[in-house]
Amino acid sequence: MKAVKGRLYFGGVHPKGAKALSENAPIETLPPPETVAISTSQSLGKPAAPVVEAGQQVKEGELIAKADGPISSDVFASVAGTVTEIKEETGAGGTLEKFIYIKRGESGEKSYFAPLPRDADGECIKARIKECGIVGLGGAGFPAAVKVAPRTPVDTLILNGAECEPYLTCDHRLMLEHTDEIARGARYVARALGVKNIIIGIEANKPECIKAFEKFDDIKPVILKKQYPMGGEKQLIYVTTGRRVGMGKLPADCGVVVQNVATAFAVCEAVELGKPLYERVLTVSGKAVKNPGNLRVRVGTPVKYIVEFCGGEKVAPKKVIQGGPMTGAALATYDVYTHKTTSGILLLDKSEAAAEEPTPCLNCGKCADVCPMHLMPMNTAFYSAAGDFDAAAKYGNVLSCIECGACEYICPAKRPLIQAIRKTKGYMRSKMTSAPPSPRPADQKGRSAPFVPLMPKDKTNNENKENGNG
Amino acid sequence: MDNTVVISTPPHVKSRRTTKGIMIDVIISLFPCAVAGIVFFGWQALVVELTAVLACVATEFVYYFIWKKGFAEKCKNARYVCVNWWKQFDFTSVVTGLILALIIPSRVNWYEVIIGSVFAIAIVKMLFGGTGKNLVNPAAAARVFMLLSFTVSMNVYVAANFGPIMSDSTVITTGATNFSGFLAVGEGNAINPVDLLLGSGVAGCIGETCGLAIISGYIYLSVRKVIKWWQPLLFIAVFGITATLMSGFAGDADKLTGYYANGYIFDISLFLPHILSGGVLFAAVFMFPDYVTSPKGVWGQVVYYVAGAILVALLRHFTQKEVASFVIMLMNLIVPLIDRYIRRKPFGYKREKRVKEGK
Repeated sequence: MKAVKGRLYFGGVHPKGAKALSENAPIETLPPPETVAISTSQSLGKPAAPVVEAGQQVKEGELIAKADGPISSDVFASVAGTVTEIKEETGAGGTLEKFIYIKRGESGEKSYFAPLPRDADGECIKARIKECGIVGLGGAGFPAAVKVAPRTPVDTLILNGAECEPYLTCDHRLMLEHTDEIARGARYVARALGVKNIIIGIEANKPECIKAFEKFDDIKPVILKKQYPMGGEKQLIYVTTGRRVGMGKLPADCGVVVQNVATAFAVCEAVELGKPLYERVLTVSGKAVKNPGNLRVRVGTPVKYIVEFCGGEKVAPKKVIQGGPMTGAALATYDVYTHKTTSGILLLDKSEAAAEEPTPCLNCGKCADVCPMHLMPMNTAFYSAAGDFDAAAKYGNVLSCIECGACEYICPAKRPLIQAIRKTKGYMRSKMTSAPPSPRPADQKGRSAPFVPLMPKDKTNNENKENGNG
Repeated sequence: MDNTVVISTPPHVKSRRTTKGIMIDVIISLFPCAVAGIVFFGWQALVVELTAVLACVATEFVYYFIWKKGFAEKCKNARYVCVNWWKQFDFTSVVTGLILALIIPSRVNWYEVIIGSVFAIAIVKMLFGGTGKNLVNPAAAARVFMLLSFTVSMNVYVAANFGPIMSDSTVITTGATNFSGFLAVGEGNAINPVDLLLGSGVAGCIGETCGLAIISGYIYLSVRKVIKWWQPLLFIAVFGITATLMSGFAGDADKLTGYYANGYIFDISLFLPHILSGGVLFAAVFMFPDYVTSPKGVWGQVVYYVAGAILVALLRHFTQKEVASFVIMLMNLIVPLIDRYIRRKPFGYKREKRVKEGK
């Protein structure tokens, strides 16, 4: 179908794409590492419960942790070998996660599900999506099985190929190299949902992808303006269909389901090959890495191994990021492991990484101008700094914030706005569940960016220094 | 420092624009006005501008140096204090000083300029918490303060020493800015809009006289997206229409001339002289859109500009004085209220339907 232009929406920023670094690098397959550490928290919701024990032999693609509760997903072994240990460690996000360590053996045996026929009916596909542990690969990691079983009737499936984050090119390459698989995966999802209408939203900076998707009769490509956050769920739905998802509502409430293109690809593999989700494509980029590229990486691969595969550091990085530069997590060490939702490993050098100290807020209102959700982040920052989190949530409308980071991107004073918003959200969440914690003001002195050594040589020395500062 | 990485919340890339950069943009946009002032009013204007800027920066530095504890300590490490001050210096005081210099007449004494600058920085800005915390625009407040304190020198306006000099304008006139002249006597003595635009032969404050310089500053600020382009236009449009409507009513002075003998007169040709005369244009471009003291939501801004424009037009009609800075202060003070009650609706917001009881 011929591509049409999407609507415009109010707000958003235009960060430098920086996609040229890895845009033209074809997807390479990373050889399996010696050991992997697979977290059991691979999706939103409850972590999965391990079903293997230390010392057990596992095959590639074997179930190692079972979904615990409705919003949770199964976890699979990404290499064949021996489970060495199961222990709790601090993950990339800074929270405690349970990791299953697997040492790679020689066998390389695979254990897939039986492939489904291409004309399998919706119920079979739904069951397959659930048993293959497929989650939204865009970043949030919402279990796809929950999304394909909406409570309200839906009439449209939107594929998210916006990839609005700078640096990331994995979806771009996937759309180019696996166009047919994505289209077939989208049709499987549509069949599971019982919808006929498939839309794919692609940003205007990927014209070849738009062209590639024009050849299908049942998929409507929509050209999106290059604007961040175009790939935000609510923004994408508005831009492609004109529907507005209400506050605190799900896309399904207005008849839409959004899936990432990488998810559609994973669904295709799950249906046609019976392959559980234990691999994904991610981008390694940034000016500090020697050979930027797009890699097919097994879940649980150490970041260090990936960086070494890409030639290591060119210059000392100023920031190491897991995920996209606008929403990802900054890493303090290379000793972390990829997740199903890791869409990139970025090594930013001094000229790219934002590491300025904040200056006083000017009240310029630029953060409100660019907010895609039409909120007022400056109010949140102001009231949360004073410790009044209720007012911060009220005047900043924090609960509808999607944490896209556009406000902090544009802020001329470099205020830590997302930090204030997260703190307020945490307060509101704890208030809903239990007694509120003592409201402690967010740090207003501008200590949002502490310097820590990438590979600490002397730990005790460091701690002393930190204590001295605090 | 080599082997360190920064840990922070996302986003990890940020725009290159900083507070300092924005302030330097504002200074660049004020440059045509400053130069026009020097051309029109001679070396006295230069003295006023330099004095105001230096006094503002010096006040900020002294405040930084002596405020808070450890004065003796700071004296010992004066060099480091200076370096730290320069690191955090964001040119806001330069902007304040320059704007203050441009909205006062050229014949103000240098010590009066210093007193005004110290008032602007120390009392209006720093005492409330420095950059970004002041309640009212420091330059506007300082001008009001000077107007009320130095009644003689602040009311001496000299005609611009440029272009076709009007008959009696070489004489220093007291208490008459350009706009009150033509408003008081109606159409007969109205100054040609082109003269007002260029500022030739017009009496007024240093920076407010040359409309062309102000418009070029406006264009620069809009192109650099420092201010939103529609804000000054909205203000000017609402102000011009209100002022034109108001000038149809006869004032006391007008009754003597007999111009309004036939009652209410609506004269659209007064629109241009109204917006080009006095400090309205300057205030609309450089003072109303001041980040710190204007509302943050779009609808709040609309209310702010429309209400400010109507107030300026009304007060100017009834007082025949330069009221822009008074109105700026007044509007600045109600900005917190505007921000509190005119809030943006989040994306996807739906007004909850009220369920009537008893049904």
